[in-house]
Amino acid sequence: MNSKTSIFRGITLIALVLIVLMPFILPSVTLATEILIFALAALACNLLLGYTGLLSFGQGIFFGGGAYSASLVMIHFNFGLISALLISILVGAALAFIVGSLSIRRTGIYFVMLTLAFTQMAYFLAYTFSDWTGGDNGLLDVPRPALNILGITVSDLKSSESFYAFVAIVFFVVFVFARRVIHSPFGTTLVAIRENENRSSAVGFSTNHFKLVAFVISGSITGLAGALYAMLLNFAPLSNIDLVMSENILIMTIIGGTSSLLGSLLGAGAIVLLGDVLSSIWPRWMMILGVALIAVVLFLPGGLWGGVTSLFNKLISNKKNKEESSTEVSK
Amino acid sequence: MNLYLFQALNGIGLGMIYFLISVGLTIIFGLLNFVNFAHGAFYLLGAYLSYTAVVVTGNYWVALIIAPIMIALIAWVCERTLIKRVYHLPHTYQILVTLGVALIIQELCVSIWGPIGKHISPPDSLKGVFQLGDFFYPQYRLFVIGFAAVVAILVWLLLDKTKFGALVRAGSEDAETVSLLGTHTHRLFSITFALGVGLAGLAGVLAAPIRGIHPFVGPEILGIAFVVVVIGGMGSFTGALVGGLLVGLVQSLMTTIWPQGASLMIYGAMAFVILLRPYGLFGRA
Repeated sequence: MNSKTSIFRGITLIALVLIVLMPFILPSVTLATEILIFALAALACNLLLGYTGLLSFGQGIFFGGGAYSASLVMIHFNFGLISALLISILVGAALAFIVGSLSIRRTGIYFVMLTLAFTQMAYFLAYTFSDWTGGDNGLLDVPRPALNILGITVSDLKSSESFYAFVAIVFFVVFVFARRVIHSPFGTTLVAIRENENRSSAVGFSTNHFKLVAFVISGSITGLAGALYAMLLNFAPLSNIDLVMSENILIMTIIGGTSSLLGSLLGAGAIVLLGDVLSSIWPRWMMILGVALIAVVLFLPGGLWGGVTSLFNKLISNKKNKEESSTEVSK
Repeated sequence: MNLYLFQALNGIGLGMIYFLISVGLTIIFGLLNFVNFAHGAFYLLGAYLSYTAVVVTGNYWVALIIAPIMIALIAWVCERTLIKRVYHLPHTYQILVTLGVALIIQELCVSIWGPIGKHISPPDSLKGVFQLGDFFYPQYRLFVIGFAAVVAILVWLLLDKTKFGALVRAGSEDAETVSLLGTHTHRLFSITFALGVGLAGLAGVLAAPIRGIHPFVGPEILGIAFVVVVIGGMGSFTGALVGGLLVGLVQSLMTTIWPQGASLMIYGAMAFVILLRPYGLFGRA
């Protein structure tokens, strides 16, 4: 237990250091903000894929749902920053509850197909009800309200630096929360379901109930990410709720690695950076994503994070050979 | 009344195309026990190859024969070099590899044929309309229904009456035992994969003169194929046929009633079936 908590500190510390350093290392603060927002979405996807074993092609529904709902309440009802974000969390959770409760009626491949079909359904819903969503044009003029706490304006969030700081705090809070969830009895039960659903069920866990709660948590975090993305762009495009968005979130999660939440940050960083650098040079850069996806499955099943930790383990075991202490950095 | 008959025929034509896509997906799933996420992309590639074949030879019939065969060959190579390496991995990884293949195919198509859609016309002999009393219907669309029906019967005969079909069905139950009994299952797997994907390519060729060729249609096609197999039940020939026709008819008839919501209704129908029958109309638990 002691080693676990110390590693827990280690991982969280690494996340904190990365968050603080990112705006200084990266070419622009906006890019860093985008990475953190997608890292949130990937982290939520990781909770499902890495810790519950649920491959969901439905993450775009929650991302888009969060973006639309927060934008709509800000535009039509003048909601403030915090309340709009809370709405996006609620809507993400509600959508995840609906999609989850229908999809987890089936397992394995059927589950995956259902989530994909629901993503298409959500896309056509958004496309059809264009009075609300703007349809193909997207929802324009999404505001980015000032951050007010107890009536005091902390920051107007107008500058990209202040918005980054805000997103960074949100990310860190969610990160710590997600780590708590994973290491709670609830989280270990999810892992048990991932490893052997029949046995978990036989031991007496209501596995569908657990899966649904995991879905709702994932949906609410993804909804939050969607809302932040709309505030970043001042715009909620239809592509937010597209199948391609679901795929991208999934690809970030997998390329980053699903054995640790930090992998999601790595994955989101890698893909967003790759897209930013390549899309201007070569519009068909998505082809590289396809190749990368195949390469990760064939040669690096642990993703980037798996690669980093095995490298790290090698270095440490060389150093500490004489001490003969086991150094597990996998979780 | 004629309008509804027109739309019903459209729905049957569309449904037959959906059937061709889904039956390939279903056969592959049955034997290989994995879902090919590149299925929609192969449909797309089939349509584009037929476009090039029509441009080069000027003959639609050549395209109709060559393009699906080429798709099947490409699928065969793909299976021999890549797909077979992931059979032993969990479903998740198989899905991801085929998703990668789908992305590569789609982006290749855009690189080769450009981001703007293409169109091919039906062959000259089928450009006219079929007339019955005061009812008119394009000949090519009737041809699609007839041709797809013939292919459906051939696929059914292949699966139900031949040794190959018996092996596929036996392998769907227990591939390991079939292998132990002396069948070269690796070869069976490649041929089945090529056949299933070739059918998706054929669907792409048949649909091209009606719906045009749009480079980003792959995911939409994949989504519809999933709806069909979720409604019909995975691994079932009858399910793919009934599901395909149902989805085609719903989409087509809704186009008359509520055009914007036509695509939406397909997914509504799926959700409805899932609520009532979680394993689909013809699926086994």
